[in-house]
Amino acid sequence: MNAVLIIAKEEWRYWLRSKLAISVIALFVATLVAVTLLTAVRMGAESHERAHHQGEAEETFLSQPDRHPHRMVHYGHYVFREPAPLSLFDPGIDPVTGQSIFLEGHRQNSATFSNSAASADLGGLSWLTPAIIYQVFAPLLIILLGHGAIIREREAKALAPLLAQGVDGRVIIAGKALALTSFVLLLLIPLGFSALLAVSNGESFLASASLVGVYFLYMLVWSALTLFVSSSLPKRSAVIATLAALWLAFTLVIPAIAVNVASRGVPLAGKIETDFAMLNEANKLGDGHNSKDAAFDQLRASLLKQYNVERVEDLEVNIRGIVAQKAEKDLTDVLNTFAYKRMDGELRQVAMIADHGWFTPMLAVASASRAISGTDLVHYHLFLRQAESLRFEFVQGLNKVHAEQLSYTDDINRNRDEESWQKVLMDSSNWQVLNEFHFETASTSARLSSAGMSILMLIIWMGVLSGILLGIGGRLKP
Amino acid sequence: MSTQNPIMREFSFMVRDRAVMIWIVVVLCLSVVTVWSGLGEVQYQRDTINRLLEDDESNRAAEFSKQTDWGSAAYYSFHLTYDSPSDFAFAAMGQRDSAPWKHRVRMLALEGQIYEHDTGNPVLALVGRFDFAFFSAFVLPLVLIFLLHDLQASERVAGRYNLLVATTGSPKSSWLTRAFLRSSGILIATIVPLLIAGALSGTSFLIILSAVLMVFAYIVFWTLLCVWFASWNHSASVILSALIGVWIVLSTIVPAGGRMVIDGMVPVPSGADILMTQREAVNDAWDLPKEDTMRPFLERHPEWANYTPTEISFAWEWYFAFQQVGDQKTEQLSEAYVAGRVERDRLASLLSIVSPPALLERSLQRLANTDMQAALAYEGRVRAFHAELRAFYYPGLFGGDPFDKSALKELPSFSAN
Repeated sequence: MNAVLIIAKEEWRYWLRSKLAISVIALFVATLVAVTLLTAVRMGAESHERAHHQGEAEETFLSQPDRHPHRMVHYGHYVFREPAPLSLFDPGIDPVTGQSIFLEGHRQNSATFSNSAASADLGGLSWLTPAIIYQVFAPLLIILLGHGAIIREREAKALAPLLAQGVDGRVIIAGKALALTSFVLLLLIPLGFSALLAVSNGESFLASASLVGVYFLYMLVWSALTLFVSSSLPKRSAVIATLAALWLAFTLVIPAIAVNVASRGVPLAGKIETDFAMLNEANKLGDGHNSKDAAFDQLRASLLKQYNVERVEDLEVNIRGIVAQKAEKDLTDVLNTFAYKRMDGELRQVAMIADHGWFTPMLAVASASRAISGTDLVHYHLFLRQAESLRFEFVQGLNKVHAEQLSYTDDINRNRDEESWQKVLMDSSNWQVLNEFHFETASTSARLSSAGMSILMLIIWMGVLSGILLGIGGRLKP
Repeated sequence: MSTQNPIMREFSFMVRDRAVMIWIVVVLCLSVVTVWSGLGEVQYQRDTINRLLEDDESNRAAEFSKQTDWGSAAYYSFHLTYDSPSDFAFAAMGQRDSAPWKHRVRMLALEGQIYEHDTGNPVLALVGRFDFAFFSAFVLPLVLIFLLHDLQASERVAGRYNLLVATTGSPKSSWLTRAFLRSSGILIATIVPLLIAGALSGTSFLIILSAVLMVFAYIVFWTLLCVWFASWNHSASVILSALIGVWIVLSTIVPAGGRMVIDGMVPVPSGADILMTQREAVNDAWDLPKEDTMRPFLERHPEWANYTPTEISFAWEWYFAFQQVGDQKTEQLSEAYVAGRVERDRLASLLSIVSPPALLERSLQRLANTDMQAALAYEGRVRAFHAELRAFYYPGLFGGDPFDKSALKELPSFSAN
């Protein structure tokens, strides 16, 4: 054990002597700290702004004057997607997805206004976040420091005397690995800061800690890979060229190819296209604005029977409101069927991308990071679902007011004159059917379990590489 | 052998250098992958548009068959607008992954519709497609760096440096020859697939030529940079680290910093404000006296000044008038949103001069008509088409032209360009 420590300490001493290593690390840490702070400030501002807009939208809805309830169904409401606490580290798909949805009766609108739609476009790598720095650039730093670990000793003919003294090759590799591990731990400090900040903003400790753990594992995979290449190739230039090529393949090429594979592998019809099919289904339903529509004959008959009356005018409820409720329910079922189908296709595309985590640890860590941070596709769909259920609730709440508080006779005579119009205006206290909206991430355990597969990939990467390193250490040749 | 000219000699060295040949083959394969999947995506988008056009046409015909007045014809009919991919889009998908390229609108307030978004999976937009533009702007320089950083250091390590300097006379030109031979191999591997794909997709010669020249200049830039660094008297790993550092600064740090600064410098109105203003304007109109709607409407359309509002509680004319007034009230915000995006894009294009990767990617997207400018132009065409729709229906609505189903055949159709 002592020998391991000594070797690790030597490695550190070597790094600290290298001006290049020190200056690159300093540059990296400065960038990382700057990006961490800027992202935290930016997401904090986003969060504040969206919460503010949400409050404003609710206030506006509640302060509407007395009205016919169906006017409020069309008046509609806005919801805003507040960013998850950990988005200050990994904003995930936040910038490329719409932030708000207009909710109204009889329709499911799409989310509008993404940040990327209005941002200055400066190329594929210009959305720099702390998460991207860890995923893409931290491995470079590990390669820079670690590539020489074994090959340097071999080229300096220092391995032979060590081995001859009876030092086990595995001890040498363990020492180098310990040095890299301690370096990786230092690199995690800015992430630890982000994670603590997220905890103070209401994130669960377990989720934050898991995020740190996932990145720790990821950087260990790179450290092991670096040691593996450093101890297997005969020349330092070959070692660094191989590692650089692996880095290029793992962080830039394979992820982008995975996108091509997924988009061709699961072709997905856009919303406009599925809307045509959806309209065909929806048109089979009755028009909820017209209580005399033949589609509601059965409903009418059963109502008349239930209340034991002959004419709809004699019902205790307003049939127009009842019909509106039924029509909204039926239509929503159709809309949801199509929406879920679409979400399902998108999830299959994303699963296909995540499967490429078997080929590059970068995709494994990226998927796990977004899942744990609550900034992945699952959470975007969660937002859409929460928005939809809020929409359905308040629309049906208003339809209920329509059915139970507004008399049918008044309702159909509303356009006769000013006085009859006044009769159908419902008291604005009824607008309280609108619930507050506050987007929250899924529970920690749900997030962790959706990150499970990707975490498993990282563990297997680590396991395989550790096994190889042990094998190499056992028969390390000078 | 000694009479052979130095270029031929270097060439025969290179062909025998396995590492160099492997990199050239890898670049060739990657370039083929980018253009091949680009062509597939373009075909997919074209097919989608054609399918949508058919559905759109039959859907509208079915709606029209039910309508008996101008108002409901306008209300119930949607119109497909679209932005077809250009014949060079296969090389640079650009904004098409995040900005809409298809849109269905009707004659209601446009501001309530135009920000609707029918784009694909956001995760695909986030990770980014492997298109030719990304490949050549970001991946290619790294390959050049790997190939060229140890030109001299490797010879020094092998102990051949002094011998080479002594035998070739002018060492500088010898390194340059070697570097440019390797780069030429990379250049050819990069552009041959592009040329073939261009021929397949019928891209105009001028566009392909410009793209090739851009890639050529870009490779020359990185080659010179690598040669300069490689001439340092340092170990190969130091030179490699320094070059990768330069790549990171040019491809990531400058663009990311630039984006942050530009977005901060040029504010755009928040989407929420645009939507809320529009919604309030349109909804308030139901409760306002019809006068209040018609006044601002007629200010914009003095030609309908003779129109007299009907007394009945609902009239299509009034309904569409307040839809337009809703747009008018949002006009300022909406124009500021367009102007802000134009300005941000202008500054980004200025800034890209100091970031060659961003410059190349943006330039290829400009050639492919898939950049922000193209996305904004498409939005402009949707606005213009919407205005044409209004111009088509207003004589019927406000001028009292009798409803004539056959006149609907004269409906403006969205022209793709």
